[in-house]
Amino acid sequence: MQLTKPGAISLALHALTANLFVAVAADAQDTRPPSVESAEAPSVNSDLANDQGLTRLDSAILFYQEAGGRIRATEPVVSGVLNGTAGETLSVRIVADSLTGATPNGAAPWTGPQTFTTPANKPGSTTTVTTASGGSTLVTLPGSGLTARQYTTPAGQLPVDAGFRDERIGVDGACSTPIAENTRVSVGGAYSAERDYRSGSLNAGITQDLNQKNTTLSLSANVEFDRSFPYFGTPTPLTEMSAAQKGPAQTKTVYSLVAGVTQVMNRHWLTQLSYSYGDSSGYQTDPYRILSVVDPTTGAPLTYLYESRPRSRTRQSLYWSNKIALGPTVTEISARGYEDSWGVKSITAEISERVPITSWLYVEPQARYYSQSAADFFRSYLISGQALPAYASSDSRLGKFDAETYGLKLGMKVGGSGEFYVLGEDYQQNGRNGSSTAPGGLAILNTFTGVKATSIMVGYTFAFY
Amino acid sequence: MKRPESTMRQRALAGLALALAATSLAGCGVVGAKPWDRDLMARRSMQLNTHPNLTAFDEHIYFSKEASSGGRSFDGGGCGCN
Repeated sequence: MQLTKPGAISLALHALTANLFVAVAADAQDTRPPSVESAEAPSVNSDLANDQGLTRLDSAILFYQEAGGRIRATEPVVSGVLNGTAGETLSVRIVADSLTGATPNGAAPWTGPQTFTTPANKPGSTTTVTTASGGSTLVTLPGSGLTARQYTTPAGQLPVDAGFRDERIGVDGACSTPIAENTRVSVGGAYSAERDYRSGSLNAGITQDLNQKNTTLSLSANVEFDRSFPYFGTPTPLTEMSAAQKGPAQTKTVYSLVAGVTQVMNRHWLTQLSYSYGDSSGYQTDPYRILSVVDPTTGAPLTYLYESRPRSRTRQSLYWSNKIALGPTVTEISARGYEDSWGVKSITAEISERVPITSWLYVEPQARYYSQSAADFFRSYLISGQALPAYASSDSRLGKFDAETYGLKLGMKVGGSGEFYVLGEDYQQNGRNGSSTAPGGLAILNTFTGVKATSIMVGYTFAFY
Repeated sequence: MKRPESTMRQRALAGLALALAATSLAGCGVVGAKPWDRDLMARRSMQLNTHPNLTAFDEHIYFSKEASSGGRSFDGGGCGCN
């Protein structure tokens, strides 16, 4: 399936989401007295969550498309959970990813055309690994004899590398078992491989029920080892972009911890509060991303440098989630506060409303708002003649922006334990990195490279003995 | 500019205090539901993560397009997309 008309889909999603929120609000005003509530007719929302002794399979696929011919992704996933009769579980998940399209290379737009020259061969090999796709050409550079890949961005446009392509396969598994009446432990692991990146992780956790199972405390820890081996080697940060082969592969280690409390507040309201902490050390720079070094007067690009990010990053966040069953509907509201040692602070708020339509069908409009500040070392470009900073990146993901998601989920009960589900989402980042004080011609250009994307997710789950 | 470690620690402590407060309230019987009042909590629609595959898709999209991660689960991500 190809999302050839993301505009139309996104418009439809906006309209449907808005309509449903209005309908739900109108319904909420028509509240019945609590005594009537116990006589509520069974709906698709009243099914029980008991899979004890059953095996549950859940498969789904994601189609993701960014506007403007940027990234397109397809991601199928299959997962299975084996539930023992004594509360033990074993779960396995396999996921694959395929990405194609154009991705911003980090250079600032300019009023004239810009040509970029990047390596075409793997270190120590004469085999070309990057094909001349996406409007790029392979050239042999005079003098050095190096084979390089070149592509040109037309005047006034955002520089993107159209030759982006990647595939990933990942597998993860976990098992958990009760070790006492109110205590459960779990261990798990994950591995994923893509063309230029590998990641492996191990985790362990414990949960403890208290207060007649009204309160659950949880603690889990994860350690992740990553290895990055870019097609043409790893560039030295803040050196000039060139066709020459780069340095060896790099590694990164991430330690994370999540501590949480889940509380039944009353018959209708479940709340969860969790705190997470992460410590990453090692290579965290994007090896393919560059920055423009511009003329201080005209703003014209003079050269391009590979970006540079700190090798250490600590993150922490506080996440609060609520599920509320009032009348036939279920509301989910969550909020997250986040900050890290790179200077990024963010807030996230999400709401969804699951509304039963019949005994086998429900709809769930959902909305999300996100806002982040820029990392301390975020720069849209560097100015020639000024001292080079230790760290600099023009990655919009590290810049200041807001983002909104509107989505609509549809769930259809199939048989006793099965469900067919579809979720459509529209995601848009809003920001502006341009400045009227920017040098010369850059003052009229917006250097923000945020995305607008449409996703369709389709899945089916069922349980059996 | 480096974040002051003390601010991060203070926020972590505030979160912990909030969690402890919730736990003690529950212990006093101010909040909670009796076992025979857990019918709504037992529903699939009331589970904290009703569609793990959809949650994973969303987290993957947000992890690869935004600077923040973690909260609901671990930080890492296991891919080179960020």
